[in-house]
Amino acid sequence: MKHIDKVLIGASVAISIAGIGTAIAGNEEFDKPTISAKTMADALHLVMDSDRTIYTRKIVNRLVKKDKVIKASEHFEDDKALVLPAQMFRFGSELVAKRAEKLADVNFSYSLQSLWPINKQNAPKTDVEKAGLKYIAENKGKNYYAKETLGGKTYFTAIYADTGVAPVCVSCHNKHKDTPKRDFKIGDVMGGVVIRIPMGS
Amino acid sequence: MVTSMMVFSMSINADQKNYIKFKDKHLSQGREVWLNTCESCHGYGIAGAPVPMHASDWLVRVKKPKSILYDHAINGFYGPDDTMMPERGGNPALTNIEVISAVDYMVALANYYIQLKRK
Repeated sequence: MKHIDKVLIGASVAISIAGIGTAIAGNEEFDKPTISAKTMADALHLVMDSDRTIYTRKIVNRLVKKDKVIKASEHFEDDKALVLPAQMFRFGSELVAKRAEKLADVNFSYSLQSLWPINKQNAPKTDVEKAGLKYIAENKGKNYYAKETLGGKTYFTAIYADTGVAPVCVSCHNKHKDTPKRDFKIGDVMGGVVIRIPMGS
Repeated sequence: MVTSMMVFSMSINADQKNYIKFKDKHLSQGREVWLNTCESCHGYGIAGAPVPMHASDWLVRVKKPKSILYDHAINGFYGPDDTMMPERGGNPALTNIEVISAVDYMVALANYYIQLKRK
């Protein structure tokens, strides 16, 4: 009984602290902008890239290549396999787009695009996307940042290189029936992550 | 519809002039192989590749027997954090001698930057 009391008291304290936290988070001071759009985009990309890297290393590299217990496949449902790292990234971006629709203040978007897309839907559409993807492909190790106006709204758009890091990335793209480019090498920039953040009305 | 108003870029890393040229013929050959195959990842730290211009990346590695580094480069290697070095840097056309020359160049380059940091 004493143990239960302690747990309940502990839970009450935790709830109280959480309550205070919620009250603080609702403070106007926390709604004031404190970082630039560029810093925000760089931070978002850091999280995205880190998550994808961990998935690639700790799930795909470990289970598929090192321990050889499961495959990773573009046709993961039919093949009962893991999704490819690029697919996981894309599914995340699609879910974010869906959830962000309901959050007016968090209405940013990101996508994986390429000048040589297997799926034509992933080709760049705006002038900034086209220029940015070309720039990061021709200037290895550099990011591209621009401001663009779309449909009357102004956005900060950041584009980061997406590099082929494993033989399977390169060979799959080079051999795919729908690919427009068949001479990728490991280390080549194969596309880019496009992050778009609204900059006010 | 689309108006680009501001464009700028930010460099992460590599620069050709940082890839020191050594007089040794074997290392010169290794530099060519390294530039054509290894640099695309090791020049930028892509996928966790250790960058020879970063002394901290190579302090432990340069102390390993060269035979281990050669083996990792020729046959591929999974690191302790499940990083992956592909066989022959993903370029199956490279001979063992060419891979070894590239490893020797990268170790020489790393040692150059380790010494530079100590000065």
